[in-house]
Amino acid sequence: MKRATLASAIVATSAMVLSIVPAHADSTGVTATSIKLGVSTPLTGSAGLVYGKVPGAMRAYFDYINANGGVNGRKISLVIRDDKYLPTLAATQTTNLILKDKVFALVGALGTATHSKAYTAAALAKNNVPDLFINTGFSGFTNKAKYPTTFMVLPTYAMEAKVMAKVIKDNFPGQATFMIAQDDEFGSDGVAGFTTAGHKFTASPTLYPQGTMTAARAEGALTALGAIPGKPVLVLFGTTDVTATILKAAEKLELTKKFTFLAGSVGADANTLLALGVKSTTIDGIVSASFMPDAKDLTDPYVKQFIDINTKYNKGITFDNYVLAGMNSAMLTVQALRAAGKNLTRAGLISAIEAKGAKFASAGLVPLGYSATSRVGYNGYWVSQLNAKGEGKPYGGKLVIYTTDSGAGTVEVSNFVRPTMPKNGIPTNS
Amino acid sequence: MKKAGKVHKPTTTRKRLFLFILFGWLLLILGDRVGDLELYQGSFVATYALAITSIVLLTGYSGQLSLGQSALMAVGAYAGALSIFNAGWHPVVGLIMSALVAGVFGLVLGLVAARLSGPYLAGTTLALAISLPTLANQFPILGAEEGISFDVGPSPARFGEDFSQYKWFFWISALAALIMVFFIVNLLTSRYGRTFKAVRDNPVAAQLSGINVGRLKVNAFAISSGVAGLSGGLLVMLISGVSPSAFPLSLSFSLLGAAVVTGLYSLKGVILGGLVLVAIPEIADSLVSRIGGSEGFTTVLPGFIVSALLILAVVFTPNGPGHLLKKHH
Repeated sequence: MKRATLASAIVATSAMVLSIVPAHADSTGVTATSIKLGVSTPLTGSAGLVYGKVPGAMRAYFDYINANGGVNGRKISLVIRDDKYLPTLAATQTTNLILKDKVFALVGALGTATHSKAYTAAALAKNNVPDLFINTGFSGFTNKAKYPTTFMVLPTYAMEAKVMAKVIKDNFPGQATFMIAQDDEFGSDGVAGFTTAGHKFTASPTLYPQGTMTAARAEGALTALGAIPGKPVLVLFGTTDVTATILKAAEKLELTKKFTFLAGSVGADANTLLALGVKSTTIDGIVSASFMPDAKDLTDPYVKQFIDINTKYNKGITFDNYVLAGMNSAMLTVQALRAAGKNLTRAGLISAIEAKGAKFASAGLVPLGYSATSRVGYNGYWVSQLNAKGEGKPYGGKLVIYTTDSGAGTVEVSNFVRPTMPKNGIPTNS
Repeated sequence: MKKAGKVHKPTTTRKRLFLFILFGWLLLILGDRVGDLELYQGSFVATYALAITSIVLLTGYSGQLSLGQSALMAVGAYAGALSIFNAGWHPVVGLIMSALVAGVFGLVLGLVAARLSGPYLAGTTLALAISLPTLANQFPILGAEEGISFDVGPSPARFGEDFSQYKWFFWISALAALIMVFFIVNLLTSRYGRTFKAVRDNPVAAQLSGINVGRLKVNAFAISSGVAGLSGGLLVMLISGVSPSAFPLSLSFSLLGAAVVTGLYSLKGVILGGLVLVAIPEIADSLVSRIGGSEGFTTVLPGFIVSALLILAVVFTPNGPGHLLKKHH
């Protein structure tokens, strides 16, 4: 026993010593010919099924840029690590990106619970690591004091709820309104946004913890609402898989025409809804808020360009809203790297986005809000309506862009016109 | 004097204490010579070793099967986070609360489940592992999905500016694990600890010998829960916050798998178990980068390696590598 204990200790110590790799000198991940970026995001698990295309789309766009000369002569590489949407893995994978892969910056991290922990665990603030274009709308990330290197790309969920409240007020007066929302910071941001906008639901919002919206629960909720007279507006503030569960429950109960479904941007991807078994006739008529053009809109020059890139550099992957979002973030990243100049530094990159980010070209149909004091990406929405083909068309036939903030500011109609797409989708800014 | 020496116990305890101090000293030296990444990985090794200790204690020594260690870790993690974040207590007190609250929770659970054993107890703890994180979402004080911060603060200024956050984590987790494992090893080699094995091997004979089997099982469950709770507190310290999704069911299975690989009937392999859990994703990573492959391949490879290790362990070292070492000696 005694000898075995000692032996065990020696074996364990030796194993640790053998696993040690000598610490290298500090590196920013930039060389004369390369820039190394990284992302920790779900590739597998239920979140991976929905969002797993985003990092591949970013890489495809970077490959396209690399094939066209790179950024100031440097080729971009993207290290992708799977965090399965688990906080522990997000913390370790992000730490690996910083300490092991030695990336210059992070781009496109996804998830609030995951990224908020990864940010601290990987000491991104202390190391001044740029944390670009994160895929979460949690308003907490706008806190520059807590997340000094983070730049959001999505508008906040509170903004989205405020725009939705205006849509209801302008288009569905007198109808009963209900809300089914995810019971976390995502849903609570949304509920708070409706409250700020002065909207009062007919009944308190139904909140469900993530991963608990079963078919039976959805059927129970819809059965209760089915008796409400008129055509109630049902706000769905959750992920696309939950929207699918609720819509399929409506199909089963023959209630698809009973409600006007108003789905949040996170939960209204038409391709995913169809893939999850929702009928095209059910999708027809769903109202949603969005800040990006529809991925099926071939008249949009950004969409058309990104589809071409996807065909050539992301073979076998169907182009949809997630691929569009990934390529758009990558295009913003390339412009940020260019704006930071040839002598690329982490501090320089952050300053460049603060100074020039609001003018970057992007597929988004609403303005970008970057400044020295704001880390908010897109700061508004347009309202779309899906047809049976899953295409999102402007609600009422005319594109109306709304802008607002996450606080008490009003929702305004904007005459914003997005910057023209750089030739062939290759930024040339400085 | 010679007769007293034959009892062995004081000498054994002193030697064991010496070995633990020596091991701690080695870790201290090692910590100064490695980079931040290795320190961070080392912190996870210590944390997982502690969690595996809780399984070995419960399953290997008292014969109870729990599939819900992740839930008990979550209880400890939330208790520690609330102590630090809400009550404003010192982080050391927070970690002690992690162990204490999880221990009390385990005691209550043990009393409720006292009549359960085998697959019934496994089923109960499995249900706990599934439901507890979801329940945590229901209480605003627990911070819903985003959770609450678990911040032990920066290292003391006297250690200097070069003393990184990761070294601080390593010191805390390694020290906490060493102290707790030392306590458990001593408990298990005491007279009381031997009754655990007696109950595991033959409950009827143990009862006939005057051992209160029911109480002993409840106590084992409580102590195991306390150890799991401390490891839960350490785990969320390493990721800077606690939230329901930090304790998925898969964590329970990974820990149980590592406990089987390193031997359920001995504490000698727990560090090896921690190393296995931390090293396997790294091995998968380097294998993929050598032979080429997609991110999807990297994702499934760790599960494949663990499965292969489990099969090999069951076939070649059913009692763990620690017993194998002993046999050779």
